[in-house]
Amino acid sequence: MPRTTVVESPGCPPLRALTTDILGLVKVVEAHAKPAGAAKIVETWGAPDASRAIVAASLADRAADPVLAVARKNGVVELLNPLNGNALAAVKTVGPAPTDGGAEGDPLVALHLFTRQSSDSMLGTFIACTDKGKASMRSITKENAASGSGAGPSTTWDVCSGGNVQFCSVDHGESYAMFGGKGIEMNLWDITSCSKMWSAKSPRANSLGIFTRPWFTAGTFLCKEDHRKIVACTNDHQVRLYDTALQRRPAISVDFRESPIKAVAADPNGHDVYIGTGTGDLASFDMRTGKLLGCYIGKCSGSIRSIVRHPELPLIASCGLDSYLRIWDTNTRQLLSAVFLKQHLTTVVIDSHFSVEEPEETKSKQPESLVEAEAEVRKEKKKKKSKTVEEDEAEAEFRKEKKKKKSKSIDEDETEAEAEFWKEKKKKKSKTIEEDETEAEAVVRKEKKKKKSKTVEEDEEQVGVVDHYDSDGEMHVRKEKKKKKSRTIEEDEERDSDDEMCTPKRRKSGERSKSLKKSKKQHIA
Amino acid sequence: MAKEKKRKEPPSDAAPPQGGEGEGKRERKGKKAKKHKAEAILPSQIKNKEKRSELHAKLKREKKAEKRKLARERSQAIRRAEELGEQPPERQVPRTIENTREPDETVCRPDDQELFAGNDADEFNAVLKQHIIPKVLITTCRFNSGRGPAFIEELMQVIPNSHYVKRGTYELKKIVEYAQNRDFTSLIVVHTNRREPDALLIMGLPDGPTAHFKLSKLILRKDIKNHGNPTSHKPELVLNNFTTRLGHRVGRMIQSLFPQDPNFRGRRVVTFHNQRDYIFFRHHRYIFETKESKVASKDKKAKTSESKSQPEKQVICRLQECGPRFTLKLLTLQHGTFDTKSGEYEWVHKPDMDTSRRRFFL
Repeated sequence: MPRTTVVESPGCPPLRALTTDILGLVKVVEAHAKPAGAAKIVETWGAPDASRAIVAASLADRAADPVLAVARKNGVVELLNPLNGNALAAVKTVGPAPTDGGAEGDPLVALHLFTRQSSDSMLGTFIACTDKGKASMRSITKENAASGSGAGPSTTWDVCSGGNVQFCSVDHGESYAMFGGKGIEMNLWDITSCSKMWSAKSPRANSLGIFTRPWFTAGTFLCKEDHRKIVACTNDHQVRLYDTALQRRPAISVDFRESPIKAVAADPNGHDVYIGTGTGDLASFDMRTGKLLGCYIGKCSGSIRSIVRHPELPLIASCGLDSYLRIWDTNTRQLLSAVFLKQHLTTVVIDSHFSVEEPEETKSKQPESLVEAEAEVRKEKKKKKSKTVEEDEAEAEFRKEKKKKKSKSIDEDETEAEAEFWKEKKKKKSKTIEEDETEAEAVVRKEKKKKKSKTVEEDEEQVGVVDHYDSDGEMHVRKEKKKKKSRTIEEDEERDSDDEMCTPKRRKSGERSKSLKKSKKQHIA
Repeated sequence: MAKEKKRKEPPSDAAPPQGGEGEGKRERKGKKAKKHKAEAILPSQIKNKEKRSELHAKLKREKKAEKRKLARERSQAIRRAEELGEQPPERQVPRTIENTREPDETVCRPDDQELFAGNDADEFNAVLKQHIIPKVLITTCRFNSGRGPAFIEELMQVIPNSHYVKRGTYELKKIVEYAQNRDFTSLIVVHTNRREPDALLIMGLPDGPTAHFKLSKLILRKDIKNHGNPTSHKPELVLNNFTTRLGHRVGRMIQSLFPQDPNFRGRRVVTFHNQRDYIFFRHHRYIFETKESKVASKDKKAKTSESKSQPEKQVICRLQECGPRFTLKLLTLQHGTFDTKSGEYEWVHKPDMDTSRRRFFL
C-alpha cells in the first residue's frame, strides 16, 4: 500500500512573488503572515495576448523605486512598476533594425535590469540579448520614458557569430555579464568596456573519442563577491563549475539524471546552487565538492523554467510548464506552498522588500506582549515569595498538599506556571528571533486559555467572573485560590470522578515536574 | 478520506474491551450501545478454527439479512411515495472512486476567461477554427509486424485524410521534418513490441506538443462480434471527461486529428472516453429507429384492433460497433515536437504521483 499520510506543510512566510507567462500576463502572488500558510494570487496585470508573450523578466529589487522589466516576444522591453503594474516605459530593442520582420527572426531571449541606479533621473538600465547574440545595453531616463521612442544611450555588441544564445547572467556587482547557449561556449564580458574577458573551452573528447557540441542552457555566478566562479548547466544534464581565474576547462563537472537542466540559481551562502530540469526535477548541489545535497520532492511534473532564491529567507521559488508556482524551504527541502497560475510560466521574481510591512506590525505588538509576559512572571514570583519559600520547597509543599487534598490540579498549575516561567526566561534570551518568540507566546496563550477552560469546567457556579480577554497573572492566582476552596467544598463523588478523570494527567504532570526539577538543578549548577 | 475513516473505525470498536473496566466514568456517561457492542467477541479473537468460522458465518448472515431488510424498506418507501404521488425519497448514490476524487484546482471552469484566451493561443487553434484542414501522417516503429499493420489499416479508416508512410530506417526527427514540409498537421506513430501494438505517439505539427500514450486492450474489428464496416463519411467525435487543464489540452489534441465538420448522414461516431485517466476509444455506427413499443405488441390478440388503431411509436437508438477498440493512458506530454535529448516536458507521469487512487490528472 502506498503511504497516504501527508507531511504537514508549515506554510509560507510573508512573501511576494511575480510570475510572467506565455500569454503576456504578470501575476502577483502573495503570502501573508496573518492567515498563515498558503500563498494566493492577488493581482493579474495585462490582457492575454499570445503575441506579447513574456520571454524574460528581471526585477530591480530596491526598497525605494523598484522596477520590473519584461521582455516580450515581439521584441519590446517594458518597464513596469512592480507595486501596481503601471507601465513606465516601453522600448523596442531589436538589434540595429527595429522592424517587425527583424523581431520575428531574432527574438529576445534574455534580459537583465540593473539594480544600481546611476542617477535619480534614470529610470533604469538593462541588458537585452537576442537569440542571434546581439546584446544591447540601454538606459532609459524618466523624461522621455513617456514618449517611448527616445531611449537613452545604448551600446550594442555581438556576443557570438553563430549559434543561439539561451541565457545571460550578470554578477552581483553588475560589471560582468556572461552568455551561453546552443553552439556557444560560455563567455564572460566586461560590461563597462564591452569586451570579452574570458571564454570557456569544451571538455576533452571522452575515451571513445566522442565530442559533444557545447549547449549551455543556464548559468549563474556562484558568489556575490567573486565574479570568477561560474556555474553553468548544459543540455546534456551536466552541472559545471568554471573558475575563470584558473583555467578555461571546467573545474568540476557533475551529471544529474537524464534530462536537460533548464534553470539554475545560486545561494547567497556562496557555494550552493539549485537546479531544475526539463522533467521537473529540482535539486541542490554543493559546488565546492560537486555533491548532490538533495532533491526537492513534490508533485512537480513539468519542466522548470525559472528558479529564484529569496535574498534573506531560506526559500526558493520555482515555476515552469506545469503552471504551478512552488515555494520550497531550502533547509528542509519541503514544499511550502504551490499556486496554480493556469498558464505556462516563464519567469518568477521575488520582491524581497515586501515583507517589510508585516514585521513592523508584529514589532509594534511585541513590546506590549513582552511587557505583559514579564509582568506575569513578576507576579508569579511574588506569589512564590509570599509563600516565603524557595521554589523547590514550594514544590515539596505542594506535593504534600496534593497528598492531603488529592487535588493535583494545583500541582499541575504550578508546573505549568513553571513551564511558562522557563519559556519566558528562554524568550528573554532569544529576543533576537522574533518568530520563535511569537510562537512561544502563542503557546503560552493557549495554556492560559486551557487553564481558563478548566476553571470553567470545574467550578461552574463561580464562572461569572471569567473573562477570556483578561490575561493577568493576578486573575490566575485568584482562580487557583477559588479552586482550592471549591475543592474542599465539593462532594466526595465529584472529587472521585475528578480524580479518575485526571489520573493520566497527574502522572504526566508528575513526570513533567521531575524533568523540570532536573533541568532546574542543572541550570542552578 | 473515506478509507481512512474505515480504517479508524475498527480500533475504536475493538479498544473498549481492554479499558472497559478501568474507565468507569466514561461508561457511566452513557454509551451503553457501544459497551454492548464491545462485549461481542470478534471472530479474529477466537483461536479454534471451527468456532471461528461458525461465528464468522453467523455474522455474515446477519449482515446480509440486515442489508436485505434495508433494501426492502427503501423500495417500500419508494412505492409508497409513488402511490401517494409524492416525491420519492432521494436515491442513495454509491461512493465510487470517481466521485470521491481528490479535489483538484486545475479543473477547467466554464467562466474562466484565461482558459479561452489560452485556447486561442495554443497550437491547435488553427485546425479547430477550421482555418486548416487536418492532415494526418501515420507511421510505425522500425519493425512493424503482427497486429501492427492491421491496426494501422483500421486507424486509417477511422481518421479521415490520413496517410501512411513507411518508416524505413529514418529517424523520427527526419520524419517530423518530412511531415512539416508536406503540411501535415499531426503525426501518429504506432509502436509495436513483440508484434503487438503497445504505444501511441501523437504529435501536433509544426510545433505542437507530443503526447506519448500507452496502448492496451487492443481488439481489432474482426474480433468484435456483429461488427459493422465503417463508411468513408467524416465521423462525429465524442470527448468525455477531459476536465483538468492537462485533460483539456489532450482533448484538444485528439480533436485536432479529426475534421471539424462531420457528415451527420454517415452516422459514424468516434468516442474518446476518459475515466480515471484511462482513455477508452470506441468507434460506432448508430441508427435511430422508430419501433412499435413492446407493450403494444405484447398485448393479446383480443385488443389487436385497439393497438393497431394507436400504434405506440418509440424512437430507439441502436449501436453497431465497428473499427478497433483500445485503451490509452497518457505517459508524457512533451513541449514541442519529438525530442528525447533536449525535450521539455509539460507533464510527466512520475511514480510519486501514484500515492493516491483518487488523484487523477486528466
